[in-house]
Amino acid sequence: MPKKFIPGLAAAANAAVQADVDVISSYPIRPYTGLMIQLSQAVANGDLDAEFVHGEGEHGQLAIVHGASLAGARTMTGSSGVGVTYPMEVYSPISGDRCPVQMVIADRTLDPPGDFGQEHTDALSTKDQGWLLGWASLPQEVYDNTLIYYRVGEDPKVLLPQMNCHDGYFVSHIANWVNIGEQSQVDEFLPPYKAQRPLDPLRPVGHGPQIYANQGPALEATRFNAIWGAREVIQQAVKEYNEIFKRDVDPFVELYHMDDAEIAIFIQGCHAHTCKYAIDDLRKEGVKIGMVRPKWIRPFPSPEVAEALSKCKAVGVVETNNSFGASGYAGQLTPEVCAALVKGAVKVDKVPQVASFMAGLGGHPVKIEQFKFMAEILAKGAKGQFDKPTYWVDLECEVEM
Amino acid sequence: MFDTKKLQVPIPAHLEIPEGGVVESPKPDGEQDQFPSGGWRILRSVIDQERCTKCLTCWLACPEPCIELAEDRSVSIDLKYCKGCGCCANVCPVQCISRVPESDFKGDVEFMDEPF
Repeated sequence: MPKKFIPGLAAAANAAVQADVDVISSYPIRPYTGLMIQLSQAVANGDLDAEFVHGEGEHGQLAIVHGASLAGARTMTGSSGVGVTYPMEVYSPISGDRCPVQMVIADRTLDPPGDFGQEHTDALSTKDQGWLLGWASLPQEVYDNTLIYYRVGEDPKVLLPQMNCHDGYFVSHIANWVNIGEQSQVDEFLPPYKAQRPLDPLRPVGHGPQIYANQGPALEATRFNAIWGAREVIQQAVKEYNEIFKRDVDPFVELYHMDDAEIAIFIQGCHAHTCKYAIDDLRKEGVKIGMVRPKWIRPFPSPEVAEALSKCKAVGVVETNNSFGASGYAGQLTPEVCAALVKGAVKVDKVPQVASFMAGLGGHPVKIEQFKFMAEILAKGAKGQFDKPTYWVDLECEVEM
Repeated sequence: MFDTKKLQVPIPAHLEIPEGGVVESPKPDGEQDQFPSGGWRILRSVIDQERCTKCLTCWLACPEPCIELAEDRSVSIDLKYCKGCGCCANVCPVQCISRVPESDFKGDVEFMDEPF
């Protein structure tokens, strides 16, 4: 198995070439453009036989892969920041038409002001459009996810588009060692996409019709069933991926020192790796701290998150995103975690205290010292109550960069 | 751990609908018969058959598609579904498609009630 020292976007491009995508549509915006540079080179060199189409903007870019997917093609697109929010209208039609389009998002702060730094708000703002949405924290994971997401999204039981997200710059542009599978392994894991009702002049079908109001609930319930049914498919796909590629990938969440943790940090994305260094230090001092990193946001791994966090006394949700005015007094993940802990069917004996940590906004790195600052607050929260619901770690614990 | 299989919503048989609401084999008097959109039209495209060169540019450009093609390549408009967008008139290279207010034709087409 060849090992390459490449950044996240090159890992995604490597996987897309091996997945033999048929149609790629692009529109430039940094940082994700690295993906399209790699893919256009692959097409130009003859390494990949695909149509490479430029959109006139991101809205058109998504419409191109929507049409191509309806025609039966395996498709790849991507964007960053405001490029993710501009085509907002097109996301629901793609998932509603059950097109397994894959979109790579190397995330970036939304405007204003202009900021090239990473922040998760762009990708997370699409979470309610019926797409599978997962998050990688290392280039290796970007490679794994690209293949796994195609396999899951194209499964006849799922048929949903996939947001293949990772942190801009930290993952998209910083190289790391990536195990690249053999083509034979990829072929074994990922069969060619076979659309069930492709656009075909000989067998005409109509997509996206007007419906009567009484057809709405049933149609929406099929998407609800598909995305929750995807969990079984994810489990099976990851199991086979691990067998074929001799890997050890977690299907839903990454747990770090959670067995006996009294306090825990819930964190998405690349800063989780810095968090682990902080946890190693704190564990040496006897602090019973752990970490939960979700690999999916849609479907949200609620059962796994509830099970892992319910044993803790205090939980800190790291928010590298915004949702101004949200119920959790912080970003978009706090309400998700709280709902997973308290929502009916899951039995949680004692719901832990939850605080939010705004950290890493605008592409600001989150340092080990700042995770230790969070741990101190969590230790106090575990003894009784937090003194406030949200801590702006970037501002309250300034460290030299 | 909560088993998310329990979340699956049973869909009553009379409301079953294919994934994405896809309509198999749309055809006249077929499934889409219940969704006529001709009633939305304000301006009707009228083709001057004598000047028409049968180039089929309108047939390609119609977004619905409501340009019907005869065996001799002459074109006509499916008034049951044409929404009157005017794309055909706009692209016609010999400008043989004119736009006429629908009120001028009152009575010649049976107007369907819109579904909404």
